[in-house]
Amino acid sequence: MNRQTIALALAGSLASAFATVAFAAPLPAEKMVGMEKCYGIALKGQNDCAAGAGTTCAGTSTMDYQGNAWKAVPAGTCTTMDVNGHKGMLEPMKG
Amino acid sequence: MPYEPLHASRLPPRAGVGFKSEHYADIMETAPDIGFFEVHAENYMGEGGMPHRMLAELSARYALSLHGVGLSIGATRPLDKAHLARLRRLIDRYKPQSFSEHLAWSTHDTGFLNDLLPLPYTPETLARVADHVDEVQQATGRQLLLENPSTYVLFEESSIDEIEFLDAVAERTGCGLLLDVNNVMVSAVNHGLDPLAYIDRFPVARVGEIHLAGYDETVDGAGDRLLIDAHGSRVREDVFALYRHTVGRCGPVATLIEWDNDVPGFAVLYDEARRADDVLAEEAARHPLPRRA
Amino acid sequence: MGHAATEAAFAAALLDPALPPPAGLTTARGAPDAKRFAVYRNNVVVGLRTALATRFRVVERLVGEEFFALMARAYIAGTTPTSPLLFAYGDDLPDFIEGFAPAASVPYLADVARIEAAVTRAYHSKDSEPLGIAQLAALPPETLGDVRLAPHPAATLVRSRFPVGSIWQAHQHEAVAPVSAPGGEAVLVVRPGLEVGVHILPSRDAVFAGALLEGAALGDAAAQALAADESFDFGAALVGLAGLGAFAGTVTIDKGDKDDGHG
Repeated sequence: MNRQTIALALAGSLASAFATVAFAAPLPAEKMVGMEKCYGIALKGQNDCAAGAGTTCAGTSTMDYQGNAWKAVPAGTCTTMDVNGHKGMLEPMKG
Repeated sequence: MPYEPLHASRLPPRAGVGFKSEHYADIMETAPDIGFFEVHAENYMGEGGMPHRMLAELSARYALSLHGVGLSIGATRPLDKAHLARLRRLIDRYKPQSFSEHLAWSTHDTGFLNDLLPLPYTPETLARVADHVDEVQQATGRQLLLENPSTYVLFEESSIDEIEFLDAVAERTGCGLLLDVNNVMVSAVNHGLDPLAYIDRFPVARVGEIHLAGYDETVDGAGDRLLIDAHGSRVREDVFALYRHTVGRCGPVATLIEWDNDVPGFAVLYDEARRADDVLAEEAARHPLPRRA
Repeated sequence: MGHAATEAAFAAALLDPALPPPAGLTTARGAPDAKRFAVYRNNVVVGLRTALATRFRVVERLVGEEFFALMARAYIAGTTPTSPLLFAYGDDLPDFIEGFAPAASVPYLADVARIEAAVTRAYHSKDSEPLGIAQLAALPPETLGDVRLAPHPAATLVRSRFPVGSIWQAHQHEAVAPVSAPGGEAVLVVRPGLEVGVHILPSRDAVFAGALLEGAALGDAAAQALAADESFDFGAALVGLAGLGAFAGTVTIDKGDKDDGHG
């Protein structure tokens, strides 16, 4: 296939995509809202977590946790999830 | 380059609170009667998005105080020019009524250390801090309020008293001072000084803003009381009493309630602000004219 | 001792708990006190750890607070922030996690961290109108294969061998629901307006999305996607991705001066 044939095949595919989503293109941007319902899976996060950390001018009386990172074992929710056969924690690292 | 001949602060002589994004919806909905909001400059140095939207809405409705945490004015290294430019952009965009930073350092060759670290008070550091404050004011086009620190150690080489140091920086640069009353209590207890005497010696005519916060308490290696500037509770009663005394000396000055760790619902901050507002109102009734020039 | 030396000693002792407090510190009693210097050390390390835990909440829940604290400590020891913009701290924590042997039993941890890093980046990223359908529809059909779309400044694609979008979603609530999705997921993080969006893409579109966000022309990206999965539907994928806000509103078209038969 040459470039033009490919381009036309792509253009055809694009045109039918416009048709399937029942748009008479061109569409105004605001009509795109709601498109995400038709494509992929929209996940819902907690928006205030998105900001990440803020600066602070305060100190803390929380103590730094001292320990050996190389002997530590993951022990949160990963221990109860079965993800593609990776269930729970495995052997702690030697060291 | 001349900078705006601002007086110490254009914040109203009322209580304000530190703005936290989790309170945004509440504030927009209830439009609380608050004298001003203060934000940490660094949290609004991203390129876009919700932080700028919130700050725009907030500054359209309330007086705004921009409080820097990361400039590292007390460090030996030169000030970060990129950071100064970011500050300038924020100031130009949101036109805060007050702009303040700390007498402390936080940036070293190893990077940003995320704490307000102490410096010795010597002729050498005084000259450098004054140069840095001067540079900040030139770069931002604004007068800076420099805040007294809370400290946990002393330096053997210090030869200048903290109040004299702050006063000298202000004298040389024309900057104003931010008097953190909780910091006064923390440092006074930690170093066996009288907090009332500190307030009584402070050059109150230079004070453009007051800070209040809650401290935590522990003991040092010798078993002496050691206060930590934790900003995670209501203002302690001894600090509040010291605040009354301070307002008696300064007159009614814009007063911030700081709360950065374990931040409660907005109603608690509002309640703290009311307490401070009452003190300011009483003082205003006693002395209708502010004592500052 | 001049201030530069005092400051350097202070900074070094802050970051290395094996070092004694720097010389030259004292107290009102006239004797140095290690516990007082430890307040600063603590403020720095706990402050940075809290910053990481705030940004990487799901990672912390997956491995637990204690493990996270130790992992964060190891990261902080090698990576102090380069700027006071703390929301950017931890941009490379996902890469660190990937090489952190004690976390090897949770092989999806680094990719979950990549989603969380991308979400914060998107939240603070430059405001930009995404590419609209009208702009797509106006592209000249005969050169469509040569079109390059600019990634939207907020857009990040995380392609993983694990169902990391489902894992991330399961941790947005107090109680963590079991994750049933098998296989890998491609997760697109976007911010077309003010709100950050996190989307699991149809798996057949992952190669296409990855190629486009790396700057490939539409024709090349489509060819790669078809080679990976013959059920790939170019039009549906392009309209879908644009609809989520994956692309910025700028389009460039390559000059057609290369040989005519490539691809």
